Amino acid sequence: MRKKVMAIHSSRGGTGKTVIATNLAAIYALKGLNVALLDLDFRAPSLVDVFSKGIKEPVGHWLNDFLDGRCKAEQALIDVSEAYGLKGKLLLGLANPAVEAIRSIMEKSRTWEVTAVKRLFSLQSTLFEDMDIDYCILDTSPGVQYASVNAVVSSDLSVVVATPDSLELKGLENMLAELYDAFSKRTVVLVNKVFPETRVLLSDKQENLIDRMEKLLKHPIIGIIPCYCDVLQAKRTSLLAVDKPYHPFLRKLEEIAEKLESMEEADREESVLAH
Amino acid sequence: MVKAKQTPLNVELLLKKLVEELGFVNQKLGSLIELNEKLVKMHEELLRAGDDNSHFEAKPKLEPDVMSLLSLPPSLRKTAMVLYKLEQATATDLARETKRLRPVESAYANQLVRMGYLRKKREGREVYFYIESPLEVRK
Repeated sequence: MRKKVMAIHSSRGGTGKTVIATNLAAIYALKGLNVALLDLDFRAPSLVDVFSKGIKEPVGHWLNDFLDGRCKAEQALIDVSEAYGLKGKLLLGLANPAVEAIRSIMEKSRTWEVTAVKRLFSLQSTLFEDMDIDYCILDTSPGVQYASVNAVVSSDLSVVVATPDSLELKGLENMLAELYDAFSKRTVVLVNKVFPETRVLLSDKQENLIDRMEKLLKHPIIGIIPCYCDVLQAKRTSLLAVDKPYHPFLRKLEEIAEKLESMEEADREESVLAH
Repeated sequence: MVKAKQTPLNVELLLKKLVEELGFVNQKLGSLIELNEKLVKMHEELLRAGDDNSHFEAKPKLEPDVMSLLSLPPSLRKTAMVLYKLEQATATDLARETKRLRPVESAYANQLVRMGYLRKKREGREVYFYIESPLEVRK
């Protein structure tokens, strides 16, 4: 029994968070696991574009509607597993990209946010208990915003995607200390878009970089992914795990997916021993 | 001459009026003192009710959203976070989740009630703590 919630977060935009979240979800679903992928980036929704090839009918209900109490959980989820030929289920909870919906989210009160986080927890319990989902992956908005903090609070594990940019690392250091440590959440850092010129692909160089970053950030580094021009240039509608399964980006992400699974196994064993 | 005759009459009238007004003010002050005594008594009763796990529910003083979790001390934050996940919980339920002792959880949850972060209600012999949200949570 897996049943874990993973939040994919970053301290700023453009780190590759959505590419990581969508492909991680597809990797698990290709393996036969049942996955739910929720777009919690309500200010800049993107999953509706990424999965546009697999969404056959007009979206009837958005995740916004569920959080507003206007529909049931199952109405806000779209199964795209058949469209992408996945072995397991891949359910999508999409954020509404209409400007009016984004404006509405921006005007929500703090009282609404209290209800929203409770609804998010209730959605996760429906996914695990009634829909046989193994992993719920949350694609969040960058930085400290209600949607991203709600995602962190409701997750079991957070994967923070970072690029090795010094300014970003400073922001990340603060975010990890003030947000993740405050909530005592299990957190790992994934370093993405590392330029090949830094030669981190050599194993000794990689270890050196990991050591330095772990010392600075005081959180484990789950993996390093080099910057691939073709990944950056790929169409928004391209799901690499399905379209280019042999791409080195995917190989790296598969290793990370396995590490995340084994971390989860270790947690479960620890929990059994504690009882 | 006319003015000299009218002056004593006006003073007498004014004094009478003043005495009347003072009586009225005195009456109002008495009511205010009485009201204040009632409020002090009610406040003491409410504080006692909060301490002894009775059916008292405090009015929220702050919005119990995730951002305000950050301003809570870590010990209280842990208890509050569990209540986002469980819609309502007894001190025993909280202790199971946080892996702390039940009396510790009871003390923390009651402190959060006094702060206005949580609400509590009695159902039979059980006391349930919960985060109040104006909208119903539906699956």
